[in-house]
Amino acid sequence: MPLFWLSVGFGCVTASVLAIAAVGLSLQFGITNYVNFAYGDFMALGGFFAYVLNNQVLHLDIWIALVIGSLAMGVFAVIVNRLILGPFARRFSTSHYVLIVTFGLSLIMLNAAYSIWGAQVRFYNMPISSALTIGPVRFTRNQLIVIAIAVGLMLAVHTMLKTTRLGKSMRAMADNTTLAMTSGIDTKRITTITWFLSGTLAGVAGIVLGISEGNLTPASGELFLFVIFAAVILGGIGSIYGAMGGAILIGLATEISAAFINPAYKLDIAFVILILTLLVRPSGLIARPGTT
Amino acid sequence: MSESGVLERTHATGRTAALRCEAIAKAFQGVHAVNGATFDVPEGQITALIGPNGAGKTTVVNILSGAMNCDSGREVIGETDVTNWPSYRIARLGLFRTFQLSRELHGLTVLENLLVAPADQAGESLVNLLLRPGLIRHQERAHVERALEVLDTYGLYRHRDTRARELSGGQKKLLEIARAVMASPKILLLDEPMAGVNPALIELIGGHIVDLKESGVTVLMVEHNLNVVEQICDYVIVLAEGRTLATGRLSELRENTDVVKAYLGEVIDAGAAH
Amino acid sequence: MLYYVFTLVFFCFDYFILAMGLNIQYGETGILNFAYIGFVAIGAYFTGVFSLHPAGHSGQHYILGLGLPFPVNLLLGGVATMVFALIVALITLRRLRTDYLAIVLISLSLVLYDFCNNFVSLFNGADGLYNVPEPFAKSLGLTVNSFIPFFACVTAVISLLMWFVMSRITRAPLGRTFRAIRDDEVVAAALGKNVFGMRLKSMLIGSFYAGIGGGLLIQFGGSFNPTAWLPGETFVVFAVLIVGGAGNNIGMFVGALLVETLLIHLPAFLPEIPGHPGLIEYFDNAVVGIVLMLMLWFRPEGVVPARLRRTASFGVAARGDADPDLTIAVPAHE
Repeated sequence: MPLFWLSVGFGCVTASVLAIAAVGLSLQFGITNYVNFAYGDFMALGGFFAYVLNNQVLHLDIWIALVIGSLAMGVFAVIVNRLILGPFARRFSTSHYVLIVTFGLSLIMLNAAYSIWGAQVRFYNMPISSALTIGPVRFTRNQLIVIAIAVGLMLAVHTMLKTTRLGKSMRAMADNTTLAMTSGIDTKRITTITWFLSGTLAGVAGIVLGISEGNLTPASGELFLFVIFAAVILGGIGSIYGAMGGAILIGLATEISAAFINPAYKLDIAFVILILTLLVRPSGLIARPGTT
Repeated sequence: MSESGVLERTHATGRTAALRCEAIAKAFQGVHAVNGATFDVPEGQITALIGPNGAGKTTVVNILSGAMNCDSGREVIGETDVTNWPSYRIARLGLFRTFQLSRELHGLTVLENLLVAPADQAGESLVNLLLRPGLIRHQERAHVERALEVLDTYGLYRHRDTRARELSGGQKKLLEIARAVMASPKILLLDEPMAGVNPALIELIGGHIVDLKESGVTVLMVEHNLNVVEQICDYVIVLAEGRTLATGRLSELRENTDVVKAYLGEVIDAGAAH
Repeated sequence: MLYYVFTLVFFCFDYFILAMGLNIQYGETGILNFAYIGFVAIGAYFTGVFSLHPAGHSGQHYILGLGLPFPVNLLLGGVATMVFALIVALITLRRLRTDYLAIVLISLSLVLYDFCNNFVSLFNGADGLYNVPEPFAKSLGLTVNSFIPFFACVTAVISLLMWFVMSRITRAPLGRTFRAIRDDEVVAAALGKNVFGMRLKSMLIGSFYAGIGGGLLIQFGGSFNPTAWLPGETFVVFAVLIVGGAGNNIGMFVGALLVETLLIHLPAFLPEIPGHPGLIEYFDNAVVGIVLMLMLWFRPEGVVPARLRRTASFGVAARGDADPDLTIAVPAHE
């Protein structure tokens, strides 16, 4: 079935975008213990940073724009945490105001992006790439680069968490922040670095989303947000590897389903999987103790 | 006390057993917090649940009150098997508890904290709200009058309109107990009611607990302060390493070498400071 | 001129209703319903298809089409929203703590939006429903200019009725038990309250208000399409609640006045800036976000803080001072 294998190909690309996004979200959630509802807008803004560099102001090569744009997004995330999220999280640690604040941040960022770039669809300036065939699956060169970026970032995150001191500190903080603090870990520094990583990954995800979808609007990230949530919940909230696994499963499931149902609803399949996960195995595939 | 596996309706002291549990076990990530807690609580008496730190006392209270599920074992209240019932259903049978670290309903006033407690309030039904407002007003007034009396008894009357979060630590402790009393409990589980409380207040609270017993309430209290246990408790259950070690009167238990060993490093003479 | 003023009046009272609905869910019971605007949309859509005649040759595609008169269609729209809320609550409410629930609900909101946009035969897709018959317009012979003031007044009356019911709820033991669950659900359960059952009740009541508010929107405007309920619109209702004062019915009206009327709808009457279509609207929405953050930081209790429920309000006579001996025994500080 050529259509099936075509879907598998698309599925790999979607899974790549999802994996980058889901890991960025999970890293930050593990450290701060609240969800950033503006994450989709972080992705979109990263996408627009790259757009400015690639197609508006500087006309850089898209892949260079990707690197610079996502790092810029990392810096942006650190600033937002310093000025807004951090103070609110510290002051209102028991009530859930910080979630409302991230929701508000989402609104502000979305409308700021609309104000600056308007609602029209934007495109990256990219060379049309040729198709390559790997086994029964066909990919374009750009798609392969996206997948390679995802695999590379997953390996980098894995290596960082397992081998570096930073990674160990992050894991310690994610397990038990108070204990980590008393063990001499500089939690403030780790938090800042985590936000930088989360913002950078969001930026990469937003840009590759724009590349793989072929277009970009200020709302692109927000509309994709629930798919990321589905991947994170399927994988098990709090687990980085769960997020990766969830991303692969959801990415493949949504694209393969598009071969059978109206493609307009393919992302909604992710929501169905989310609900099924909640009904059948709420802790997700890799349950982390202490997260329920 | 009977051997494990046979729970008798009649307690060793000759009274009926209000609350019984058998072979309760609970593990957290492979570590057994409770592993074979078996005891009965005599009706209308004050029973102490004592034991060295880490013996699993609070876990047992959580399981008995329904806040936590046990991995195995049985719990019976009266004639009803309530094993692993959710806490609200156990409360409906008349078993209420207090928490070691007082948990006040912080946004509500002291009076409102008590008003939440009574069961079967007509005013919780939307239908009654729309069709029978008079009944609700009548019930509320009765509850308020009783609540004010309870507050008076516990010395909190003049704080009745204060937001609960503004109370001092000792006042929150009293509120915790007053709120449970307002629910008209048949069985009251107190989790370290004297913890972190000054001596004058200890006497006051102790007096209230005895008054409760005299009005027919069965009390089970987790307590470290053996002075208090000596003065007000009729019966003692000793828990160590998650299982029932011994039961009986405190004077008998002092002679029990197992109990003494369990407390090794801790002094169990009355008069020792904590 | 009248047209402008009464449009503002309408939105003020309509968002007052919406805020009351969110308040019973979030302000009183602590349920972070980030899908709230989805419930409003369900109410609007169902009220619409209950009042439109069967879709045949009208050019629109939609389900049902029962041609019912006002206010039957509105009430049924509210009921339909409650049914939707029941399904959602049964799946999500029991198993999830607050922040995971928020994730699922916002996902629901996004998916619902996506779905309604694409599934044309449901509610006419991206075009939405239009030509919805205006209530009483024919029977009272109202023109466009007279309908708006008329319906704004109808909405005001409905909102006052709903306010009366809501204030009964929040002052009753029901409201108090909701607040107890919000403050500490473990304690509430330990006191014998069926936390899930209560939360469900709260969701249902709130969703009825959401449905009525949505139904009034489609009756006022005669149309309703997805652009009216982007998932971010939920945030505007939260802003109404928090700016005005959560947990407090007067506060909600003030919030509706300030946020919805002044911040959102008044600027809509400003002329467009040439070359930048929609800029005022975007700027406006961003300002709402900023205002809410400032409010949360500097005055979280809102413009009109919730008042304490004092003993005297229960109609019980105050007694003399407590026994002085007991008072001495309880030290002021531990």
